[in-house]
Amino acid sequence: MKLELGYIFIKDIQFSDVSKVENGTLYVNKEEVKALILEDQNFKSADVELAKPGESVRIMPVKDVIEPRVKVEGPGGIFPGMVNKVDTVGSGKTNVLKGAAVVTTGKIVGFQEGIIDMTGNGAQYSPFSMLNNLVLVCEPIDSLKQHEHEKALRFAGYKVALYLGELAKNLTPDEVEVFETPTLIEGLKKYPDLPRVAYVLMLQSQGLMHDTYVYGIDAKQSLTTMIYPTEIMDGAIVSGNCVSACDKNTTYHHLNNPVIHDLFAEHGKTLNFVGIIITNENVYLADKERSSNWSAKLAEYLGVDGVIVSEEGFGNPDTDLIMNCKKIESKGIKTVLITDEYAGRDGTSQSLADADVKADAVVSGGNANEVIQLPPMEKIIGHVEVADVIAGGFDGSLHKDGSITAELQVITGATNEMGFNKLSAR
Amino acid sequence: MIITNNDWVLDKYKDSFNVIYIDGSFKDVLIAVRDKLHLGHELLTHPLGSSVKPSETPYKSIIITDNKKNLSINSIYMIENAIITYDKFSKDKLKFITDKIRDDLKLIDLTVLESALNIL
Repeated sequence: MKLELGYIFIKDIQFSDVSKVENGTLYVNKEEVKALILEDQNFKSADVELAKPGESVRIMPVKDVIEPRVKVEGPGGIFPGMVNKVDTVGSGKTNVLKGAAVVTTGKIVGFQEGIIDMTGNGAQYSPFSMLNNLVLVCEPIDSLKQHEHEKALRFAGYKVALYLGELAKNLTPDEVEVFETPTLIEGLKKYPDLPRVAYVLMLQSQGLMHDTYVYGIDAKQSLTTMIYPTEIMDGAIVSGNCVSACDKNTTYHHLNNPVIHDLFAEHGKTLNFVGIIITNENVYLADKERSSNWSAKLAEYLGVDGVIVSEEGFGNPDTDLIMNCKKIESKGIKTVLITDEYAGRDGTSQSLADADVKADAVVSGGNANEVIQLPPMEKIIGHVEVADVIAGGFDGSLHKDGSITAELQVITGATNEMGFNKLSAR
Repeated sequence: MIITNNDWVLDKYKDSFNVIYIDGSFKDVLIAVRDKLHLGHELLTHPLGSSVKPSETPYKSIIITDNKKNLSINSIYMIENAIITYDKFSKDKLKFITDKIRDDLKLIDLTVLESALNIL
């Protein structure tokens, strides 16, 4: 399966009468975007704001971040099974508005974290602080239940991202990258001497606000399975996970999974990137056993020498991570784990809720308990009334001048367990 | 058997499941579960079965076996690790929770529990 990703670099975002991309600027017709959101009768009002790198802006509480993409050639559309039909994606050509993102905010339940600061100390921790963001602030109708609210917000994000992506359909990319996964047999013939490596991508799947969808299916209802890397680049996996801001995988993370990109970069040079195993993180312990059994079985079946395993979330997923590690290692396959740490504010506590001696190659995304200072921002986008709850009520404290003392875990993407961040530990 | 300090779980499942209601904290639930595990019950759901952290929610529901067997070392290991993890988080800020937020947190706990109950 072969996909060409065409990047159109976006350096600025502005409101305009006509939505278009011109000379690296993404122009957005605000009214059209609002009308698109309000097609969903679950929303009584909607507002759209811009947040650019360097501006004194705080976005909160962030639910999802989505990169605008569009299929130019090849079957299907972005976000198959969710917004587009459930065709198999991942081949042909896809254009990307690189440097732009749609950010959804919302007060689905009353305690949510998820901050993106566009400047100051906090901006160093979130990759989304460097993007030209179109922020959606949607108010639900009064009677809307949390489940429906979460879903409506998720779909508003997809629809607006597709609307922006469509602007790139007929543009000539500034840069093109090609990703190709051969069949197992072709790969084996082509690189007989290179170590065979697969990627085990763990997906959060524990219930309301903890869910991930694969081609529209709730991952908790799926057995561990396989997927081509380029299918993920076309939005086959989307995030409905609104908890654990620092170490959840947003839809943007899935589209730009750095493990996949790095494995492709080494493919044919130092290793043979065989494919991706996707597995869930359920609450029921028998599910954890079953899913990790299947991860190990598929890794064995693929005949790989090593796997990289990335986790999502906090607490019980540590158990899935360790189960995947132990069972895959017991097949004689080496594992490298990517996780993050809750090692206490001073970094001296046990980092994970589970451990095993076989987990002897672990990459850390940083300590989510680390305390940071966030300076006051001139403008807050999202739900200001939630700010007190997030910042003052739970993981930090909101000071009179608007500055925040908080643990790193309040920042969206700060300790991402795909490694899509700047933190680590030795 | 469900051990919970969430009255929504008690109200909804007291007639269909064996529910032990703990009038106490998240940690009190963990301790009650630990005590049961030492009697030979086994964990069926993960004691940290949500990524909502102990610093963010006072509610916890955990499912264990109704029957007692030999001591499950795996279960003991998991509950002890959960207690260690729980103790790492500051609970000071939980006192700021409003009634609306309490309802939201009860709902999340119930929903996460039900994601396991659906297959029991």
